[in-house]
Amino acid sequence: MSALTMEEIVEPVAESGSPASVAPPDVPAAALSLSSPQLDAIYQEHARPIFYLALRMLGDPTQAEDATHDVFLRAYRKLGEFRGQSSLRTWLYRITINHCQNLLQTWHRRHIHGTDDDALWEQAAGPAETPLRILETRELGQRIQKTLDALPEEYRLLLLLVADEKLSYEEIGTLTNQTSDAVRGKLHRARKAFASVFHQTA
Amino acid sequence: MNHPKSSKLTHTEQEQLAELAAQTTQQTALEFATPEEMLRHDSHLTHVPPSLVERLRASIAREPSPERPWWSRFLGQPG
Repeated sequence: MSALTMEEIVEPVAESGSPASVAPPDVPAAALSLSSPQLDAIYQEHARPIFYLALRMLGDPTQAEDATHDVFLRAYRKLGEFRGQSSLRTWLYRITINHCQNLLQTWHRRHIHGTDDDALWEQAAGPAETPLRILETRELGQRIQKTLDALPEEYRLLLLLVADEKLSYEEIGTLTNQTSDAVRGKLHRARKAFASVFHQTA
Repeated sequence: MNHPKSSKLTHTEQEQLAELAAQTTQQTALEFATPEEMLRHDSHLTHVPPSLVERLRASIAREPSPERPWWSRFLGQPG
């Protein structure tokens, strides 16, 4: 098991509240028997989105599994500190983002040739409005990963968070330390950059 | 009409197969209006490894009891 090296977890506070709930009542508690029905319900509802975020941030299924394990273990340890000032999903995402960013900084082994120069991406050829087509479902994950790896980290994270329909722009802004207006502005450039790179991966 | 010995299909059969292949390709082709729509689809296709819950269960079993929730401490409820 990889050691947890994440910084102190600060529970994000959304600008506008979404109802916070530790144990979502609408989630059937599966017989996971983690330690309590409450934790079972949390795992049942949030494991896939957390695993997916880790998978696409780290680009490796094994590392993503380790990271997801560490995130839920951390959540188990810190659940008593969760005060419901943000949604549980946002809190778990904060832990995941911190953990994955720490791992990426530590590894220095992945050679991501992204550029953070917004101006370059602004000029990138490729209409953002062109539909993104793919012929084979089985190549979808590979092409998505290749595309995300080529993007600046900020764009990559924004797109992954926006893909989760349960997150509001305000919550995404809280998670990425910016206003919801800034999220909207950068999202437009992130979409354009993604489309540009994606079309090149065909 | 003569056919090469290597092919046992008639011309009509070959055309039907080609049409079927084209239909299959169309069925598997996906189109997304935005990247997040594509990522959402990809996310729904992604499955959490079944071994993860077992690992987590084992790790939690080794942990000391977690802190009681703040509201539980406040209300004096047993942890």
